[in-house]
Amino acid sequence: MSMNKPARVWVSNEKPKAGDILRVRAQMEHVMETGLRVDPATGKARPRHILSHFEAKLGGKLIFTWDPGTSIAQNPYIEFTFKARHSGELTMFWKDDQGATLTASKTITVG
Amino acid sequence: MKPATSLTRRHLVAGAAAAGASLALPGTALAQATAKTPLVGPLAPNPVEFKKTMEQFIGGATPQAEGLQLDVPVLADNPSAVPVKAKVTLPITEQDWCEELMVVAELNPIPLACRMQFTADTGTAEAAVRIRLSQSQTVHVLARMKSGKVLAAKQAVTVAASGCGM
Repeated sequence: MSMNKPARVWVSNEKPKAGDILRVRAQMEHVMETGLRVDPATGKARPRHILSHFEAKLGGKLIFTWDPGTSIAQNPYIEFTFKARHSGELTMFWKDDQGATLTASKTITVG
Repeated sequence: MKPATSLTRRHLVAGAAAAGASLALPGTALAQATAKTPLVGPLAPNPVEFKKTMEQFIGGATPQAEGLQLDVPVLADNPSAVPVKAKVTLPITEQDWCEELMVVAELNPIPLACRMQFTADTGTAEAAVRIRLSQSQTVHVLARMKSGKVLAAKQAVTVAASGCGM
Protein backbone atom coordinates (compact mmCIF):
# COMPACT_ATOMS: atom_id res chain seq x y z
CA MET A 1 0.00 0.00 0.00
CA SER A 2 1.26 3.36 -0.87
CA MET A 3 1.05 6.50 1.24
CA ASN A 4 1.96 4.82 4.51
CA LYS A 5 5.22 6.73 4.83
CA PRO A 6 5.07 10.12 6.52
CA ALA A 7 5.42 13.17 4.31
CA ARG A 8 8.51 15.34 4.58
CA VAL A 9 7.53 18.89 5.40
CA TRP A 10 9.68 21.99 5.77
CA VAL A 11 8.42 25.40 6.86
CA SER A 12 10.71 28.41 6.52
CA ASN A 13 9.78 29.82 9.94
CA GLU A 14 7.47 28.32 12.55
CA LYS A 15 7.56 31.43 14.75
CA PRO A 16 7.03 34.30 12.31
CA LYS A 17 5.97 37.88 12.93
CA ALA A 18 2.48 38.78 11.78
CA GLY A 19 2.49 39.42 8.04
CA ASP A 20 5.66 37.46 7.31
CA ILE A 21 5.62 35.33 4.22
CA LEU A 22 6.19 31.67 4.99
CA ARG A 23 7.40 29.11 2.51
CA VAL A 24 6.34 25.47 2.75
CA ARG A 25 7.98 22.57 0.99
CA ALA A 26 6.36 19.15 1.20
CA GLN A 27 7.10 15.85 -0.43
CA MET A 28 5.45 12.48 -0.04
CA GLU A 29 6.00 9.08 -1.60
CA HIS A 30 3.72 8.03 -4.40
CA VAL A 31 4.22 5.85 -7.46
CA MET A 32 2.32 8.29 -9.78
CA GLU A 33 1.55 5.60 -12.35
CA THR A 34 0.28 7.43 -15.45
CA GLY A 35 -1.80 4.64 -16.94
CA LEU A 36 0.21 5.05 -20.15
CA ARG A 37 2.97 2.58 -19.38
CA VAL A 38 2.76 -0.95 -20.70
CA ASP A 39 3.79 -3.82 -18.48
CA PRO A 40 6.18 -5.91 -20.62
CA ALA A 41 5.17 -9.13 -18.80
CA THR A 42 1.46 -8.90 -19.62
CA GLY A 43 1.43 -6.49 -22.56
CA LYS A 44 -1.30 -4.47 -20.86
CA ALA A 45 -1.17 -0.88 -19.66
CA ARG A 46 -0.58 -0.48 -15.94
CA PRO A 47 -3.67 1.14 -14.45
CA ARG A 48 -3.47 4.79 -13.53
CA HIS A 49 -2.67 5.46 -9.90
CA ILE A 50 -1.84 9.08 -9.12
CA LEU A 51 -2.06 11.58 -6.34
CA SER A 52 -5.09 13.67 -7.21
CA HIS A 53 -5.57 16.23 -4.46
CA PHE A 54 -3.61 18.21 -1.89
CA GLU A 55 -4.79 20.93 0.42
CA ALA A 56 -3.26 23.08 3.14
CA LYS A 57 -5.15 24.89 5.88
CA LEU A 58 -4.00 27.30 8.53
CA GLY A 59 -6.16 27.14 11.65
CA GLY A 60 -8.92 25.45 9.65
CA LYS A 61 -8.93 28.11 6.91
CA LEU A 62 -8.08 26.86 3.45
CA ILE A 63 -5.02 28.58 2.02
CA PHE A 64 -3.88 26.36 -0.83
CA THR A 65 -5.11 23.46 -2.92
CA TRP A 66 -3.35 21.50 -5.62
CA ASP A 67 -4.82 19.05 -8.10
CA PRO A 68 -2.01 17.08 -9.75
CA GLY A 69 -2.43 15.27 -13.06
CA THR A 70 -0.42 12.51 -14.70
CA SER A 71 2.40 14.90 -15.67
CA ILE A 72 3.45 15.41 -12.06
CA ALA A 73 6.69 13.64 -11.18
CA GLN A 74 6.89 10.60 -8.94
CA ASN A 75 6.98 11.29 -5.21
CA PRO A 76 5.11 14.57 -5.67
CA TYR A 77 6.80 17.70 -4.43
CA ILE A 78 4.85 20.84 -3.72
CA GLU A 79 6.09 24.23 -2.61
CA PHE A 80 3.90 27.21 -1.82
CA THR A 81 3.96 30.40 0.21
CA PHE A 82 1.42 32.17 2.37
CA LYS A 83 1.18 35.21 4.59
CA ALA A 84 1.22 34.41 8.33
CA ARG A 85 -1.70 36.44 9.64
CA HIS A 86 -2.58 34.38 12.70
CA SER A 87 -1.28 31.47 14.75
CA GLY A 88 -2.64 28.04 14.16
CA GLU A 89 -2.03 24.54 13.02
CA LEU A 90 -0.82 24.28 9.43
CA THR A 91 -2.47 21.05 8.29
CA MET A 92 -1.70 19.33 5.04
CA PHE A 93 -3.78 16.63 3.43
CA TRP A 94 -3.02 14.37 0.46
CA LYS A 95 -5.44 12.09 -1.34
CA ASP A 96 -4.87 9.77 -4.28
CA ASP A 97 -7.29 8.48 -6.88
CA GLN A 98 -7.73 5.21 -5.00
CA GLY A 99 -8.86 7.01 -1.87
CA ALA A 100 -5.67 6.63 0.20
CA THR A 101 -4.93 9.67 2.35
CA LEU A 102 -2.02 11.17 4.22
CA THR A 103 -1.84 14.08 6.63
CA ALA A 104 0.91 16.19 8.18
CA SER A 105 0.90 19.28 10.34
CA LYS A 106 3.12 22.02 11.75
CA THR A 107 2.31 24.48 14.49
CA ILE A 108 2.68 28.10 13.41
CA THR A 109 3.02 30.59 16.25
CA VAL A 110 2.77 34.22 15.18
CA GLY A 111 4.70 36.38 17.62
CA MET B 1 48.64 35.46 -39.14
CA LYS B 2 50.79 35.42 -42.29
CA PRO B 3 49.22 33.68 -45.30
CA ALA B 4 51.32 30.90 -46.78
CA THR B 5 52.65 31.63 -50.24
CA SER B 6 51.07 28.49 -51.71
CA LEU B 7 47.60 29.54 -50.50
CA THR B 8 45.65 30.73 -53.54
CA ARG B 9 42.12 31.90 -53.90
CA ARG B 10 41.15 28.52 -55.36
CA HIS B 11 42.40 26.72 -52.26
CA LEU B 12 40.49 29.07 -50.03
CA VAL B 13 37.20 28.64 -51.88
CA ALA B 14 37.52 24.86 -51.90
CA GLY B 15 38.42 24.81 -48.23
CA ALA B 16 35.53 27.05 -47.25
CA ALA B 17 33.07 24.93 -49.15
CA ALA B 18 34.31 21.76 -47.47
CA ALA B 19 34.17 23.36 -44.05
CA GLY B 20 30.69 24.67 -44.71
CA ALA B 21 29.45 21.25 -45.75
CA SER B 22 30.92 19.49 -42.74
CA LEU B 23 29.46 22.10 -40.40
CA ALA B 24 26.04 22.04 -41.98
CA LEU B 25 25.65 18.25 -41.95
CA PRO B 26 25.29 17.59 -38.21
CA GLY B 27 22.87 20.49 -37.96
CA THR B 28 20.49 19.19 -40.57
CA ALA B 29 20.84 15.63 -39.27
CA LEU B 30 19.87 16.78 -35.79
CA ALA B 31 16.91 18.78 -37.07
CA GLN B 32 15.67 15.79 -39.03
CA ALA B 33 16.12 13.45 -36.08
CA THR B 34 13.95 15.59 -33.83
CA ALA B 35 11.35 16.21 -36.51
CA LYS B 36 11.24 12.65 -37.82
CA THR B 37 10.59 10.84 -34.57
CA PRO B 38 7.24 12.07 -33.32
CA LEU B 39 6.01 10.14 -30.33
CA VAL B 40 3.30 7.65 -31.20
CA GLY B 41 0.98 5.44 -29.18
CA PRO B 42 0.08 6.40 -25.64
CA LEU B 43 2.83 9.05 -25.48
CA ALA B 44 1.66 10.96 -28.56
CA PRO B 45 0.83 14.62 -27.94
CA ASN B 46 -2.80 15.67 -27.87
CA PRO B 47 -3.08 19.11 -29.51
CA VAL B 48 -6.89 19.12 -29.36
CA GLU B 49 -6.85 18.57 -25.60
CA PHE B 50 -4.12 21.21 -25.21
CA LYS B 51 -6.17 23.82 -27.05
CA LYS B 52 -9.28 22.94 -25.07
CA THR B 53 -7.44 23.13 -21.73
CA MET B 54 -6.00 26.54 -22.56
CA GLU B 55 -9.27 27.94 -23.92
CA GLN B 56 -11.29 26.74 -20.95
CA PHE B 57 -8.95 28.48 -18.53
CA ILE B 58 -8.58 31.71 -20.48
CA GLY B 59 -12.30 32.07 -21.27
CA GLY B 60 -13.00 35.38 -22.92
CA ALA B 61 -10.05 37.19 -21.35
CA THR B 62 -6.93 38.41 -23.13
CA PRO B 63 -3.89 36.92 -21.40
CA GLN B 64 -1.18 39.37 -20.43
CA ALA B 65 2.47 38.49 -20.01
CA GLU B 66 3.36 40.92 -17.22
CA GLY B 67 2.85 39.93 -13.61
CA LEU B 68 3.63 36.24 -13.86
CA GLN B 69 7.17 35.17 -13.16
CA LEU B 70 8.16 31.74 -14.37
CA ASP B 71 11.22 29.76 -13.34
CA VAL B 72 11.79 26.70 -15.54
CA PRO B 73 15.15 25.36 -16.77
CA VAL B 74 15.86 25.75 -20.50
CA LEU B 75 17.73 22.45 -20.48
CA ALA B 76 16.25 19.81 -18.17
CA ASP B 77 18.78 17.18 -17.19
CA ASN B 78 16.09 14.92 -15.76
CA PRO B 79 12.87 14.85 -17.80
CA SER B 80 11.19 12.79 -15.07
CA ALA B 81 11.37 15.72 -12.67
CA VAL B 82 11.56 19.16 -14.24
CA PRO B 83 11.19 21.92 -11.64
CA VAL B 84 8.54 24.51 -12.48
CA LYS B 85 8.10 27.54 -10.28
CA ALA B 86 5.53 30.26 -10.83
CA LYS B 87 4.91 33.46 -8.94
CA VAL B 88 2.32 36.15 -9.48
CA THR B 89 4.11 39.47 -9.02
CA LEU B 90 0.99 41.63 -9.25
CA PRO B 91 -0.05 43.05 -5.88
CA ILE B 92 -2.06 40.50 -3.89
CA THR B 93 -4.68 42.39 -1.89
CA GLU B 94 -7.89 41.67 -0.03
CA GLN B 95 -9.79 42.70 -3.16
CA ASP B 96 -7.67 41.07 -5.85
CA TRP B 97 -5.78 37.85 -5.42
CA CYS B 98 -4.77 34.99 -7.68
CA GLU B 99 -7.60 32.49 -7.71
CA GLU B 100 -6.07 29.77 -9.79
CA LEU B 101 -2.83 28.75 -11.43
CA MET B 102 -2.43 26.10 -14.09
CA VAL B 103 0.66 24.31 -15.44
CA VAL B 104 0.35 22.87 -18.95
CA ALA B 105 2.91 20.80 -20.85
CA GLU B 106 2.05 21.40 -24.50
CA LEU B 107 3.19 18.06 -25.98
CA ASN B 108 2.49 15.68 -23.11
CA PRO B 109 -0.21 13.06 -23.78
CA ILE B 110 -2.34 14.72 -21.11
CA PRO B 111 -1.26 18.37 -21.33
CA LEU B 112 -2.77 19.58 -18.04
CA ALA B 113 -0.05 18.97 -15.44
CA CYS B 114 -1.79 20.48 -12.44
CA ARG B 115 -4.01 23.21 -11.08
CA MET B 116 -3.44 25.19 -7.90
CA GLN B 117 -5.93 27.34 -6.08
CA PHE B 118 -5.35 30.15 -3.64
CA THR B 119 -7.81 31.90 -1.38
CA ALA B 120 -8.16 35.36 0.11
CA ASP B 121 -6.42 33.97 3.22
CA THR B 122 -3.27 32.98 1.31
CA GLY B 123 -1.95 36.50 0.82
CA THR B 124 0.58 35.36 -1.80
CA ALA B 125 0.51 33.47 -5.07
CA GLU B 126 3.57 31.33 -5.56
CA ALA B 127 3.97 27.61 -6.09
CA ALA B 128 6.54 25.12 -7.36
CA VAL B 129 6.17 21.54 -8.54
CA ARG B 130 8.16 18.97 -10.46
CA ILE B 131 6.68 17.72 -13.70
CA ARG B 132 7.70 15.07 -16.23
CA LEU B 133 7.95 15.78 -19.92
CA SER B 134 7.49 13.25 -22.72
CA GLN B 135 9.73 15.26 -25.06
CA SER B 136 11.27 18.70 -25.55
CA GLN B 137 8.43 21.20 -25.54
CA THR B 138 6.98 24.41 -24.19
CA VAL B 139 5.68 24.60 -20.64
CA HIS B 140 2.85 27.08 -20.17
CA VAL B 141 1.69 28.58 -16.89
CA LEU B 142 -1.55 30.51 -16.66
CA ALA B 143 -2.95 32.45 -13.72
CA ARG B 144 -6.42 33.85 -13.17
CA MET B 145 -6.95 36.76 -10.82
CA LYS B 146 -10.09 37.44 -8.81
CA SER B 147 -10.71 40.45 -11.07
CA GLY B 148 -10.88 38.15 -14.09
CA LYS B 149 -7.49 39.14 -15.43
CA VAL B 150 -5.57 36.22 -16.98
CA LEU B 151 -1.78 36.09 -16.92
CA ALA B 152 0.23 33.79 -19.16
CA ALA B 153 3.87 32.81 -19.32
CA LYS B 154 5.72 30.09 -21.18
CA GLN B 155 9.17 28.61 -21.48
CA ALA B 156 10.65 26.16 -24.00
CA VAL B 157 12.36 23.22 -22.31
CA THR B 158 14.81 20.87 -23.98
CA VAL B 159 15.01 17.42 -22.46
CA ALA B 160 17.62 14.74 -23.03
CA ALA B 161 15.19 11.81 -23.17
CA SER B 162 11.60 11.00 -22.39
CA GLY B 163 10.46 11.04 -18.79
CA CYS B 164 10.30 7.42 -17.68
CA GLY B 165 7.24 6.02 -19.41
CA MET B 166 5.57 9.39 -19.46
